[in-house]
Amino acid sequence: MADMTEVRLTQVPSLGSLYAQALGRLAQTVMAMRPATALPQVRYVVDGVHADADQLAAYQQLLGEPGTDVLPAGYVHVLAFPVAMAVMARADFPLPLLGMVHLANTVEQRSPGRLGDRLDVRAWAEGLRAHRVGTQVDLVTEVSREGEILWRGVSTYLAKGKKLASAAPGEPGERPEAALPPVTGQWKLRADVGRRYAAVSGDRNPIHLSALTAKLFGFPRAIAHGMYTASRALATVGAPGDEAFRWNVEFGKPVLLPGTVTFGLAPAEGGGHTYAGWDARSGKVYFTGSVIATS
Amino acid sequence: MSKRNGASQSQPSTQSSPTPQTRRAAVVGANRLPFGKAGGTYSSASNLDMLTAALSGLVARYGLAGERLGEVTAGAVLKHSRDFNLTREAVLGASLSAQTPASDVQRACGTSLESTWSVANKIALGQIDSGIAGGTDSTSDAPIVVSDRLRRTLIKLSRAKTVPQRLQLLAGLRPGDLVPVAPDVAEPRTGLSMGEHQALTTRQWGITREAQDEIALASHHNLAAAYDRGFFDDLLTPYRGLTRDESLRADTSADKLTKLKPVFGLKGGDGAKATMTAGNSTPLSDGAATVLLASDEWAAERGLPVLAHVVDAEAAAVDFVRGEDGLLMGGAYAVPRLLHRNGLTLDDFAFLEIHEAFASTVLTTIAAWADEDWSQRKVGLPAIGEIDRSRLNVTGSSLAAGHPFAATGARIVGTLAKLLAEKKATQGEGPVRGLISVCAAGGQAVAMILEA
Repeated sequence: MADMTEVRLTQVPSLGSLYAQALGRLAQTVMAMRPATALPQVRYVVDGVHADADQLAAYQQLLGEPGTDVLPAGYVHVLAFPVAMAVMARADFPLPLLGMVHLANTVEQRSPGRLGDRLDVRAWAEGLRAHRVGTQVDLVTEVSREGEILWRGVSTYLAKGKKLASAAPGEPGERPEAALPPVTGQWKLRADVGRRYAAVSGDRNPIHLSALTAKLFGFPRAIAHGMYTASRALATVGAPGDEAFRWNVEFGKPVLLPGTVTFGLAPAEGGGHTYAGWDARSGKVYFTGSVIATS
Repeated sequence: MSKRNGASQSQPSTQSSPTPQTRRAAVVGANRLPFGKAGGTYSSASNLDMLTAALSGLVARYGLAGERLGEVTAGAVLKHSRDFNLTREAVLGASLSAQTPASDVQRACGTSLESTWSVANKIALGQIDSGIAGGTDSTSDAPIVVSDRLRRTLIKLSRAKTVPQRLQLLAGLRPGDLVPVAPDVAEPRTGLSMGEHQALTTRQWGITREAQDEIALASHHNLAAAYDRGFFDDLLTPYRGLTRDESLRADTSADKLTKLKPVFGLKGGDGAKATMTAGNSTPLSDGAATVLLASDEWAAERGLPVLAHVVDAEAAAVDFVRGEDGLLMGGAYAVPRLLHRNGLTLDDFAFLEIHEAFASTVLTTIAAWADEDWSQRKVGLPAIGEIDRSRLNVTGSSLAAGHPFAATGARIVGTLAKLLAEKKATQGEGPVRGLISVCAAGGQAVAMILEA
């Protein structure tokens, strides 16, 4: 990370234009047949990012977060993650942006951001490594205020079927499944949940928008954004008192829309909660995670 | 207006107010409508219609026409935005003095226990001498609203200045945005309906189908018997042709209840063990109920009876969102705390009124009351013990009567006050006490002690 080149962007790029860029690159890559094999040694930087009051309100109302001027940790992800996406959309990024699967996400929030804060965002890719069925990579996003890091997110993505000789060996197999927590809720997700989260997050990945566009990428119907489910879980658990916490999620099967997610949470050792979402009929697990106080 | 102002003119005071001496508010009487089934006899009646009818019946019974009361406080759970002044509008429609002030309150299914508590406290502090508490709810005339996107578009449309701006706004609407939105019975933070929540609690406490059906059967038989002996004659005003609660099945039997299929707790691996049916769960209902409260002096001056006094009340709430307790388990906290504060035990109560949101709510609540380990760990108080089931809901409760959300507390206060007065008349010396516990959405509950 030390010898990375800093690339300063004037503003947070729009995810829509990044997807369009990626679509274009998909064609180019096929033509060139010689994709890059190592991660670009660049760190993207956008200084002076501000939350938008209307977008914040829409996010809070959709996810069930308190309607205060505090930025929910999931909202900071929405605000900052496009900078990491811009790294993934680079022509020299070794994995195809479109079709990548979000495997897991960890956020460490040290102090809450607030509406009106001038936030600086840094993002880069690291940890290119083999996975059972492809190659995975971590996208790291750091959000700071006046030089102090408030929020650090690590988003782990998988490119299925993609084997890179340069990738480090991966972790062995899948972890054993933990026992599910007791049921505490049930989310009846309508067909438009993907479009609604897209509207507040800007993430208009076609797999979330409609059955038709999702079919193009091999899904029978539209699927919910993983971060929608994780952020709704965070809103349900609630941020610990002083807002310093680690919020983690691992994604399992995709949630097809419309659909019903059975939700449960349980107190975790050392304070905080673990949570999970699953299909009550089949027992398929959609996601598991935790919110743990860190101070 | 021919209504007279019943109060004397007050003189400006030059002295600071004295420290108030508290007094117990008296329950003078009560009046409710027979409760209707959703989509039944009251399907064309609004909340305001029903509250006005119940209030008018109370005014007529106690000769309050033209009287200026200190306060009328009532509410509705499913409330139309047009009813922002529901209770004041009902006062203006009843024959009370038009100078009677009114306020609206809401605490989900505990609404009219809350309004009773509020009016009783004002009387206790000497701020008012008389007041009416009540509640009304219609599930047949529930407020249906437009979708968020349509509402926002309509608001922007009203501000748009040009035709192209308006057309652009309208073009942004999708067909789905035009579908009206009915009130959701699910808890906003969990997405589970009240029945699904209670199904989880029922399973957690190991409550059987038989125990639930037994509660339901007793509710119908007790309510029918109370009607038969004329108990409700001075507690009800017939309305729209209804003289008894529409959900009451006097002829129901254990056999009939056993045949009903479960309706809650069907999802997931334990679905086959589901126990909650339409027979042991409260039906959606329409109706209104009111209670007349006053100081003893105010009642005596008018030659009105005092059925009972309000002794104390306690509200509680549980963290059902994070699964620490069942949604409807607030009564398991409110009642022990209330008894502890008043130095009373369950034996001190001649009557127990536990709102039957579901038969299993009654059973899980009394199971928690008797559980020493649970009480110590959760409430931090000793268990209050086993209840005497012969004192429980002796004239039936919500399973048989129905449950218009905001009306249930006032129904119970009126019923219990009359039961206490009856018992006091035969018992003579010594206080006769009754206990109320009403669970409410949002993990809440309200408990109250009445004494004759």
